[in-house]
Amino acid sequence: MNTSMIRYILGHVLRIESAFMLLPCIVGLCYREEATLPFLYVAIGLFIISSLMVIKKPKDTVFYLKEGCVATALSWIFMSLFGCLPFVFCGAIPSFTDALFETISGFTTTGASILAEVESLPRCALFWRSFTHWIGGMGVLVFLLAIIPLTGGSHINLMKAESPGPSVGKFVPKLRQTARILYIIYLFLTVLEVILLMFGGMGVLDSIMTAFGTAGTGGFGVRNDSFMSFSPYIQWVVSIFMIIFGVNFNFYYLILFLHFKKAFSIEEVKYYFLIILSAIAIIFFSIRNMFTSDFEAITHTTFQVASIISSTGYSSADFNLWPDVCKVVLTILMFVGACAGSTGGGIKVTRLVVLVKTVAKELRSYIHPKRISKVNLDGKPVEHEVVRAINVFYITFTLIFFSSVLLISIENYDFATNFTSVLATMNNIGPGLSLVGPTSNFAFFNNFSKYVLMFDMLAGRLELFPLLILFHPAIYKEMFEKAIHSKRK
Amino acid sequence: MKGFTGLKIVIVGCGKVGQTLVEQLVNEGHDITVVDTESSKVHQISNLFDVMGVVGNGASLETQKDAGVSEADLIIAVTGSDELNLLCCIIAKQFGKCSAIARVRTPDYSKEANYLRDKLGLALIINPDYEAAKQTARILYLPTAIEVNSFAHGQAELIKIKIPENNVLDNMTIAQLGSTITNDILICAVERDNSITIPSGGFTLKAGDVISFVSTHKSAKFFLKKIGFETKQVHNAMIIGGGRSAYYLAKELLNNNIDVKIIENERSRCDELTTLLPGAVIINGDGSNQDVLKEEGIDTCESFIPLTGIDEENVMLTLYAKKMSDAKVITKINRIGFTDVISTLNLGSVIYPKYITSEAIIAYVRAKTASMGSNIETLYHLFDSRVEAIEFSVTSDSGVTGKPLKELPLKANLLISFISRNGSIIIPSGNDEILPGDTVMIVTTNSGYTDIKDILK
Repeated sequence: MNTSMIRYILGHVLRIESAFMLLPCIVGLCYREEATLPFLYVAIGLFIISSLMVIKKPKDTVFYLKEGCVATALSWIFMSLFGCLPFVFCGAIPSFTDALFETISGFTTTGASILAEVESLPRCALFWRSFTHWIGGMGVLVFLLAIIPLTGGSHINLMKAESPGPSVGKFVPKLRQTARILYIIYLFLTVLEVILLMFGGMGVLDSIMTAFGTAGTGGFGVRNDSFMSFSPYIQWVVSIFMIIFGVNFNFYYLILFLHFKKAFSIEEVKYYFLIILSAIAIIFFSIRNMFTSDFEAITHTTFQVASIISSTGYSSADFNLWPDVCKVVLTILMFVGACAGSTGGGIKVTRLVVLVKTVAKELRSYIHPKRISKVNLDGKPVEHEVVRAINVFYITFTLIFFSSVLLISIENYDFATNFTSVLATMNNIGPGLSLVGPTSNFAFFNNFSKYVLMFDMLAGRLELFPLLILFHPAIYKEMFEKAIHSKRK
Repeated sequence: MKGFTGLKIVIVGCGKVGQTLVEQLVNEGHDITVVDTESSKVHQISNLFDVMGVVGNGASLETQKDAGVSEADLIIAVTGSDELNLLCCIIAKQFGKCSAIARVRTPDYSKEANYLRDKLGLALIINPDYEAAKQTARILYLPTAIEVNSFAHGQAELIKIKIPENNVLDNMTIAQLGSTITNDILICAVERDNSITIPSGGFTLKAGDVISFVSTHKSAKFFLKKIGFETKQVHNAMIIGGGRSAYYLAKELLNNNIDVKIIENERSRCDELTTLLPGAVIINGDGSNQDVLKEEGIDTCESFIPLTGIDEENVMLTLYAKKMSDAKVITKINRIGFTDVISTLNLGSVIYPKYITSEAIIAYVRAKTASMGSNIETLYHLFDSRVEAIEFSVTSDSGVTGKPLKELPLKANLLISFISRNGSIIIPSGNDEILPGDTVMIVTTNSGYTDIKDILK
């Protein structure tokens, strides 16, 4: 395994993080906060460490899938480890485990918090917390690919490991160009949301932080009650943008280059909107009587559905108090997740479409056992490899899911808490039901459960395998091969 | 190359030639989309190189749309089928504005290559088998050379030889060579212990060096004779395998009065070859059988060229021939990689048709990328692509004309090896000038030159 190349990429990733960390410093300076200094120190320290890591450029730049996965998983782990330090040093979150939980939750765009009270935090810490969503949403390695000319074509493996979805394609032949287009679309939509929020009377910093949370489909709010006390205008803007960021970015690329017909024929996007509309319909009719006007009901319904399906996790109402059918619909939406190639989490609409179609195909084969049929998506047959990978993904997801529920249940909370806390973290959503509902937080879990949930968040964001591969013995062996060899000599 | 935006190129066919092209064109910074019907091949290439892959039939309109042919600058069709290649180009020309290059190998069409190219409006039709045959033949005319490349419409040749033990060149500097032997040749590159030098006057040659020198055909013979090399062409050739390449080579050799013997296993092909090549001796037999080879006189023939479809077999036959006879052996390698292993086997002359194809296409692509000021006439990769020899045509606004060469601020690792003016070859000294209308050949270990201006600092 090419360990020096992994070190090199890791160094670059951390260098980018140190640069990103300067933004909260600027915010802190504007507000003249003491908490700025820890951010500055960590940024400088990180810059020095990461610069040492990239000083020596590896001779051999060849890079295969396993290196891509290991580099991605390690990048995310180290990014979170360093990203949580300012929280600890500035006293916003004194416990290391809690700070790490909060940072992983930020980078993985989960939005599950251990903080009961956010309004009293220093602005710079609050900004960094929301900014991690934006960084994690599109992915830091994709950002790396966009700005640093890494030679060789094998770096598609980095993007494959980091980008959500069963098959990662490019828009244009050059990876760097593709990554740039992605970030341009991402930045444009974020800025648009900031402007629209400011029209609704939100402050500049709050608008930016809210937009970060929406764009990365994260869910760290800027107020203690998330979005319950904001005006309907703001709630609608955020709802619409949550839905927008849950759409496959291919769609925007095609729109950008005026291929409207192709854009609107993406099957996944159609199903995505179909699921949203059906969920809104069911929930709207069951909670209509709880609100004074239909408008209020539809506002809250749309907000919650958009928030859950896009895996954001903002809330405008406490859905813990809604009828059971609504909770079940929202729980199902948690599994579904956003589109592949978006910033959202979850199993992803494409995977479910393929899974359902595979079931239909299986049924057909009972009627005509010798019939040859293929699963089609967007009018093209899905390759067998992809179908197989989706099936395995689903099984692995279920296995990890239930093992985690088992581990969490040791603490002996109620079933809904155990089940939805894993569900909400693994799908990168944020709030669950019962004790981890929208008005509560994750602080009450013990450290062991918190580490289990952190693992789930990372596994969910990196789509399981890039993280799981770190635990394969062969990877250790190959990683430390050189060290062992040189010792023997 | 700052501000350089590459061409948009669609390559149809992910075989060996397709892959070689991708490798080199990606390195030169172009936007490449590859198309093949087999998804595994497309995935393999797009995982290895920074290119986009499209699975489908390259000749179908829908696939071409997916691959973005409408915005492409160039389509290159190198699938296994000539007809498909031509169809790809025709369709792309109909709805895109791109130039088109097709590989056409069958002798039936190759005679009409120029007609097809003009009528169908293609930029290039390349026939690697034919080009390989021509290159093979050039070596057979000068069998002491390892490799012979021709420039300036055959006026100048770039010849690669190995300096044997106890040769006069051993321990001689380049400057001494000029004063004692001849001034009409120029040594462009020297390979010693796997590293390449572009030598200056003070460089001392050693036995075992592989040198590449440029000169006219006549001075080359004079020089080789002077340093004790045999310069007669071979009188007969034994070719194993009767495929397309064998046909092209046999035809070329027969035209130059070299006796040809072809050993082909399949009876029906033998019948065809006898009609196609009445002057050749066609033997129906297994060329990989030692008895057949002995019976047909492998130990006495002057040259031996294995052209079976299997590379490994060609290499084995070469090694066998080297052991059995003193014949000049030329090995053609179509498919397999391991170039570094092959170069240690001491096979002598090795020809790679896939590089010949890609050299022609890369020369074309570079010329298309360059500004209008100058143009690439010919391009060769030497010493496993570590050295490029490029021939540029020069116009008045090239920025290199009208000044003695010694006053030009040339880049390092670069040599102006000849100037071709009005059909004569000048081996330049520092006082010579480049004039508009000349073609100039440079040899360099840098890569990616698209314009004669690139040689300046």
